[in-house]
Amino acid sequence: MQADRRRLNAPAGGTAPPTFAPTTTKPPRRARKPDEHRKIFLQTGIVPSAAGSAYYELPPQSIPQADGLLQPATSSLKITCTVHGPRPLPRNAAFSPNLLLTTHVKFAPFATRSRRGWIRDASERDLGVHLETALRGVVIGERWPKSAADVVITVLEGEEDGWHGIGKEAEGGRAGGWGSMSVLAGCVTAASAALVDAGIDCVDLVSGGVAALVGAEGEGRDEIVVDPTPAEHDIKAACLVAYLQSRDEITEMWMKGDAGNELENLLEQAVRSATLSRSVLVDAVKEAAEAKVGLQEPINGRSKKGQDVTMTG
Amino acid sequence: MADTATSAPGLSFPRATFAKLTPAPFLQAHLKQPQPIRPSGRKPDELREPVINTGSLSHSNGSAVVRLGDTSVVCGVRGEILLASEVPHPPNEDVSEEDLVENLGLLVPNVELSTGCSPAYLPGNPPSNSAQSLSWRIGSLLHASSLLRPDDLTISYTEPKSADMGPDEEPNTTVKAYWTLYIDILCISLDGNCFDAAWMAVMAALKDTKLPKAWWDADRESILCSPHANDARGLTLNSLPSTTTFAVFSTASPLKQRSEAESWVLADPDAFEEEICLESVTVALQGDKIVRIEKHGGPRVGKEAMDACVALASKRWEQLQKLGGSV
Repeated sequence: MQADRRRLNAPAGGTAPPTFAPTTTKPPRRARKPDEHRKIFLQTGIVPSAAGSAYYELPPQSIPQADGLLQPATSSLKITCTVHGPRPLPRNAAFSPNLLLTTHVKFAPFATRSRRGWIRDASERDLGVHLETALRGVVIGERWPKSAADVVITVLEGEEDGWHGIGKEAEGGRAGGWGSMSVLAGCVTAASAALVDAGIDCVDLVSGGVAALVGAEGEGRDEIVVDPTPAEHDIKAACLVAYLQSRDEITEMWMKGDAGNELENLLEQAVRSATLSRSVLVDAVKEAAEAKVGLQEPINGRSKKGQDVTMTG
Repeated sequence: MADTATSAPGLSFPRATFAKLTPAPFLQAHLKQPQPIRPSGRKPDELREPVINTGSLSHSNGSAVVRLGDTSVVCGVRGEILLASEVPHPPNEDVSEEDLVENLGLLVPNVELSTGCSPAYLPGNPPSNSAQSLSWRIGSLLHASSLLRPDDLTISYTEPKSADMGPDEEPNTTVKAYWTLYIDILCISLDGNCFDAAWMAVMAALKDTKLPKAWWDADRESILCSPHANDARGLTLNSLPSTTTFAVFSTASPLKQRSEAESWVLADPDAFEEEICLESVTVALQGDKIVRIEKHGGPRVGKEAMDACVALASKRWEQLQKLGGSV
């Protein structure tokens, strides 16, 4: 492949990620209840130069490096989202009666266990398309004819796709791609907060939620868990929804795997998961709105601006 | 309120409107006061206080988040292995130790601005000129200051003693592989002076970097790494340089007398100031040693102004020393 001349490239010989000597570690186990969501941290207004922005994080559950290993067993999810616009379309663009919404999802090169490239790959573009359909159902596009808005998401740290035991890298980096569902759920919630921060009219807040059908340990039946961490479970099927609670509508649904008879239950639990993340979303938006109207001190602690001056000449 | 509105009806625009309509006179009005204050509320020589967090990314060998006012930058350092046998043009014997890192290209810094950090850099396009120049400047400064010791980045193998070896003979030691450090820098929020923030992030991330212990496994004929955190070790870094950027605002115009022009040096400019200032100075210091001075555009910075810049740069150096050892 031709080297990217616009970036500084790896040495010509090519590099390989380090291979670790095998150890005996067990995959982490879920400590939460099946219907308990991880704690969500969500804040808006982190990028002042953008029209709207939000930061979404699922802090790590277990204490990292508890077993003295270099690589953590699970990872947290860190997503930043900015919204630019609405801005007028260029003069030479075709007429559009609606707001044109563009979404970009990009993982940072250090977001996942295997290093990612700088150019968006197909999986990232696919996430962008999913996100676009999820958001298009909430934005009232008719209010901005002849304009466009960009939703830009950078995933600083992604969810694991499965349990990567030390020395298991050889078995293919991405086991099933379950992690991208949690990432997309985070993207939907963060993008919704950023859209509100940008002041783009929406019919409702949209929040993302994931549920998974997981194989039970030992004997016993499969169970459905809300907000699965792929490293902790043996996932059989998973479902993601983008859900508008007050209208009881689903703008995006994505199901993978064979759920068998549990299909409807799985969907119901995904909706439940979305309502759980919605409560965090509502709080974050409310807090930001209160700060804007001056009921509170600004949350991002911006430096005070200069005093008025007289201008002459 | 009503009185002022009637007395000066034309001037009742908010500050933001003036800043947008006539940025240069707006900045000049601020700087011309008896006690010059920039629109951001800072004095001309006042630096923004950096906030540095390290080690928050779990998939990097070292990472840092730096916030400089409204500019925030994330840097992740990741080590990968380059086998010595796969280097197409191995460096000659006469390449000095210091040049080895640059010669093999073991440091790969890249700055990404298309993360939605500012409306000027929207994604979907190849890296802009400024992003490419930032990557290049960071790379060349990394090599110029010869921060890293090549010993830290080489993985060598000492052959076991064989029976037919004399008692005085030393076993052969060969270099089997090198660590390549990918230094990925993402600008999350941009409000001017990305270079200083990115450089601080790189320094903090390199300080935080811990490479696993690696050895050549003769049976597998490959490099193995120890998964235990206790075996990993940090990099031995020479004293870390700090950079300080200044923008020069000048009222010079081809329509005016040269003597009428006034100029101000603004330390650590924000995005608004960067846009109107044509001249900029970057000073890189390593202790009291000047590593590099870059000056772009304009004839306004004389000897005195340059001395003042260097003095301020050493202030930034001290500020960073206090923050976290020698970040």
